Amino acid sequence: MRKHKLIQLLVLIVQFVPSILMAQAVEKNSLSLNLKYFNDNNITHHLLVQAKSKIDGKFQTIPNIPVQFYIGTEADNSNLLGKGITNDRGEAIIEIPPTAKAAWLKSPNQNFLVVSTATKQFDAGQGDLAITKAKLKIDTAEGKMITAKIVALIDTVWKPIAAVDVTVGVKRLGGILNANETQTYSTDSATGGITAEFKRDSIPGDQKGNITIIATVVDNDKYGNLSAEMAVPWGKKSIYMTNFDHRTLFARRGYSPIWLELLAYTIVVAVWSIIFYLLVQIKKIKKLSFE
Amino acid sequence: MDKLAENKIVQDLLPQQFGRQGQIWVVSLLAVCALGFYAYCRQLYYGLEVTALRDYASWGIYISNFVFFVAISLVGSLITAVLRLTDVHWSTPLTRIAEIIAVSAISFAGLIIIVDMGRPDRFYNLFTHGRLQSPIIWDVIVITTYLFISLLLLYFPLLPDLKIMISFKERNGKWLQKMYEFLGSFWKNKPEQFKITDKAINILSITIIPVAFAIHTVTSWLFATTYRPGWDSTNFGAYFISGAFLVGAGGVLIAMYVFRTHYKLEKYITDDHFDKMGKVVVLLALVYLYFNINEFLVPAFKMKKSEEEHLMGLFTGQFSPIFWFAISASMLIPIFILVFKKGRKPKWAFFAGILVVVGSWFKRFLIVTPTLLHPFLPMHDVPKNYTTYMPTWEEWAIAGGSLAGALLVVTFFARIFPIIPIHETIIETERHEKA
Repeated sequence: MRKHKLIQLLVLIVQFVPSILMAQAVEKNSLSLNLKYFNDNNITHHLLVQAKSKIDGKFQTIPNIPVQFYIGTEADNSNLLGKGITNDRGEAIIEIPPTAKAAWLKSPNQNFLVVSTATKQFDAGQGDLAITKAKLKIDTAEGKMITAKIVALIDTVWKPIAAVDVTVGVKRLGGILNANETQTYSTDSATGGITAEFKRDSIPGDQKGNITIIATVVDNDKYGNLSAEMAVPWGKKSIYMTNFDHRTLFARRGYSPIWLELLAYTIVVAVWSIIFYLLVQIKKIKKLSFE
Repeated sequence: MDKLAENKIVQDLLPQQFGRQGQIWVVSLLAVCALGFYAYCRQLYYGLEVTALRDYASWGIYISNFVFFVAISLVGSLITAVLRLTDVHWSTPLTRIAEIIAVSAISFAGLIIIVDMGRPDRFYNLFTHGRLQSPIIWDVIVITTYLFISLLLLYFPLLPDLKIMISFKERNGKWLQKMYEFLGSFWKNKPEQFKITDKAINILSITIIPVAFAIHTVTSWLFATTYRPGWDSTNFGAYFISGAFLVGAGGVLIAMYVFRTHYKLEKYITDDHFDKMGKVVVLLALVYLYFNINEFLVPAFKMKKSEEEHLMGLFTGQFSPIFWFAISASMLIPIFILVFKKGRKPKWAFFAGILVVVGSWFKRFLIVTPTLLHPFLPMHDVPKNYTTYMPTWEEWAIAGGSLAGALLVVTFFARIFPIIPIHETIIETERHEKA
């Protein structure tokens, strides 16, 4: 009878082991890796990946996910661009290093791959991106006009590209302020360019009045994110004013306003002179006792 | 005046040894001081953690005590200087009481500020790194100046009395005699010496008034130069000074009664003195009430959001029992008592004086702490005890010890020196007889 019960218990445990293991496996969430390409002023190129996962019915950004970036379509060590870990916004960024030049020059089109290794909470993930190499160029024309042009590498020739949305603005306080009331321009088919009038007069520039104008292509399916910028003397010259080390009521020790020093020291000297005068009078009274 | 009458005055006004009551009084004060010292040692060892002072209520009863001491010290300038310059002679027996209250209070005002510092050794930094632009530096300068002037104002009128004291060698004992001789053996009652002393006292009386006004105005600026509900006021200097004169006058009423009954000085501190001093207190209470109405009615009328919480806390909130007690005890009830002739009799006047002083102490607490507990930004993610302030036993012991210390200074002074000026009383009596 006792032996029979023991067998029953064992059978029960054996029955539940797979379901417990399965339950643990089910708890892991799948990870979505969204890869983006950036061409920064035709000088540097970087990749950005954002890790997201659907938790409680909502997509949420996932921090602390180790990711590896590859150039090409294979996750080989020979293609490895670098590694990163997603930050609080679920993002990891890597600059495309000069070592990848040979792979980069192979073709006018380029593929990238990002791979994340499995963690305790998330399965391994993968994301890829294919772009056509493109450049955005910015220039100015007479009458405070901004021109921008987009060219893409087709076979071995840089050709103008039409119908790409370009925004034109001025870099301001960490953001971009549109050059005028038009939000975006579409490049024309003949030159691949746009022209925008700069209407932001009196915008504060540096000491010489320089401001930075910028043209951007944002999240284009074919070309990624492109930007080009240049400094122009169209801003208002700003005169650097500082009260640091000037004599003010809020300055540091030894930098109090002259009027305050005069007033305070005059009062102190006047009152303490009276005190010293009275101390002398005590001495005088003492002297009188001997006369 | 005949020699006999003069001797009688001298005998009456010479300092007396402590009796049984006096000894109990001194021992009690010493015990409170010792407890305060023990609490301060704990504060030095463990830091300000032993207090209830936290991020918000960083000024508690130490600073309330400081403001109270500075306030009560102004009485020296009121009784000695203002009444002397206006040729009011009835105040002569009260001048020394007022001056010693001023000296002891201002000394402990300086000490309590150091107690408030978690690291008293850093007081040195005030002199090496202090900024002339800061009201704190002005306060240090003006407190030191006021202390010196008060000491001189205490010392000059004491010189003729010291000569009298020195003549009682047998009575004095060895060390007291030595001290009297050190302080005044050079006084020979020469007319030239009197001339210099009178001139010096007049100069001091004139000088001490602006310095006294400065000391409490600067203390008020410690608060008013800060943009906070309850402190952001252009009225603060005058408000503080009127309150200071009131509490000082209340303190004098108490001291008058205690010295009169304990040393049997009914002939010198008469009912008439209480009557006149009572009237002075009524006047000062009315002036202070006027400034209080200004201080609270105007912001309450506008009821800016930032002021609202502070004012409602005082009128109907957590501080309302203390607020209404302070207003009633320091102003309304004393006015009601002292406005009647019967109320200006010694016992009632003494009672009114106690109410004024106790109420004024709590009034200082209300000036300091509630404002700190109502910052502009909401208090988020802070421990619960940061949002309220209830002093710890160490704070009460230290504050109590400082008050006991100030009373000890007055007590010992009265034991060593004549608390009523002997020489001036003789002169006044002669003048009175001639008239």
